[in-house]
Amino acid sequence: MREKSTTLYLGPQHPGITGNMMVKLQLEGDTIVKATTHVGYLHRAFEKLIERRNWMQSTTILCRFCVPEPDPPEAAFALAVEQIEGREVPERGKYLRSLVLELARIQSFMLWYAGQNGSAGLYTVGQWSVGDRNYVLDLFEELTGGRIYHMYIWPGGVRRDIPEGFEDKVLHTMDYIEKRIDDYDRMMFDSAIFQKRAQGVGIISKEKAMEWGVVGAPLRGCGIGHDVRKDNPYDAYDKLDFQMGIFDGGDVWARAKVRQFEIRQSISMVRQIIQNLPKGDYLNKMPNPMKWTIPAGSAYGKVESVRGEFGFHVVSDGSDKPRRVHARGPAYAHGISLLEDILVGENLADVSFIMNSLGVCPPEIER
Amino acid sequence: MGTTYSKEEILAQQLQTAFEHLITEVVRKDTVFAFATKEQVSSILLYAKEKLGYISFVHLSCVDWLESGEFELVYIIWSPETKINLFVKTRLDRENPSMENTDMIWRQINTYQREIREMFGVEFPGFVGEKEFILEDWEDAPPMRRDFDTLEYVNDTFFEREGREDKQDVRERIAKRSGEEIPDFAKKYSRE
Repeated sequence: MREKSTTLYLGPQHPGITGNMMVKLQLEGDTIVKATTHVGYLHRAFEKLIERRNWMQSTTILCRFCVPEPDPPEAAFALAVEQIEGREVPERGKYLRSLVLELARIQSFMLWYAGQNGSAGLYTVGQWSVGDRNYVLDLFEELTGGRIYHMYIWPGGVRRDIPEGFEDKVLHTMDYIEKRIDDYDRMMFDSAIFQKRAQGVGIISKEKAMEWGVVGAPLRGCGIGHDVRKDNPYDAYDKLDFQMGIFDGGDVWARAKVRQFEIRQSISMVRQIIQNLPKGDYLNKMPNPMKWTIPAGSAYGKVESVRGEFGFHVVSDGSDKPRRVHARGPAYAHGISLLEDILVGENLADVSFIMNSLGVCPPEIER
Repeated sequence: MGTTYSKEEILAQQLQTAFEHLITEVVRKDTVFAFATKEQVSSILLYAKEKLGYISFVHLSCVDWLESGEFELVYIIWSPETKINLFVKTRLDRENPSMENTDMIWRQINTYQREIREMFGVEFPGFVGEKEFILEDWEDAPPMRRDFDTLEYVNDTFFEREGREDKQDVRERIAKRSGEEIPDFAKKYSRE
């Protein structure tokens, strides 16, 4: 007997992901036959706003593109502006940027632990990791003055130097987190529930991954090794020793294994940065920010965020305001056409589970 | 000894050999621009993907050059071998802008075309994608165009909440109601 077809509107409010987004599902029983995404609940016209702000004022808007990861947009914008302007970054500035970006990756991994496990019903890991994430946010607060939005990475370097005794606090926090993620992994990867939910679910085929523009952990979970930090190294990444996590399978499990591997790599990189932090200037100071003009030109600045490549296409017409700043976030590639494709044939209960593993972040799609 | 060319210069030469009258520019390390006519774009994208190994589509962006009456579409593609970002740029007339649909080359372009159609009003004939993307029931001019006046739209569409028309400093009202003085350090921020 053919099961009755049902239309279900999942969202815009649901606990699976960060932000509001709706997926219209055509179901037969609890199997998805067709999925259509609807975004637009969080459109704040940031790109339009930026066209009316000067270059420095733009940095306060950019970091708000995606709440779980505010630092990669700052860094991508700074890289693009530096490319157009030809501005050099002092060595210490490069290291401090990499330090902040890796700490940002660690805190974002911990938020992912919460989302991924929460959507599988394993709430304990999420409560632990969100609690422990606060120790990383404490570091950010001391360094930048803000816990979530930092506005720390500026074109030309970073906004301020590290305070006295900061290195020890960072190392102490890394020791603590390294110990704690072993606990998370035991609760998560050894759990029969997680294994059953994650293996063979939300599969992205290797052949289609490039076609669909998949980046970050979902791409490395298909067995394809691409990481902006390796392929087009920026800041201090060419001097750091780290490996990409590459796993086969293309399912939620493989993506989780990639992240499990990479959070440890990030901790190792933070230690390397602290050990090798060069002395000297941290900022190649720009002129008066209110009169700062950038030569006409365009560039694409990109960095590796936890969810994948994050980039900005920045166009300058030679004035004191950007002509166009257009974001290319991983959620833009993963959250619309890819999601609509891979949800077909999956179970209703796995929708937010899959969305989490892809790093779908609606505020970044709409900006 | 022959001249050695950088990987960026080699790419620029390859493109110029394959496409007549194509202007290329090596802008900086890992970045090459190709200025194409709108008829050339799909052939360049396909050629770069099939023959030169630019298998990764990165970005499609639209820039409004209001002063010269043109839209600029920028296709950015990337090769895992050369690690170069190739920008294929083309200009469209701002009056009735239309561009060839290229989402069969990379499926991902579909989403970008939906956004550009909605935000700039550029049409892609033959392209299948839901009409609405980010905006809902939008009937005004495409809002990312530079001649769309955000302030005028806000003034026409929204209204001041009752009792707030005079933009009165609410702290004074609160101070009066509670019988407390506004501290000295806060007075300098007063709207008076």
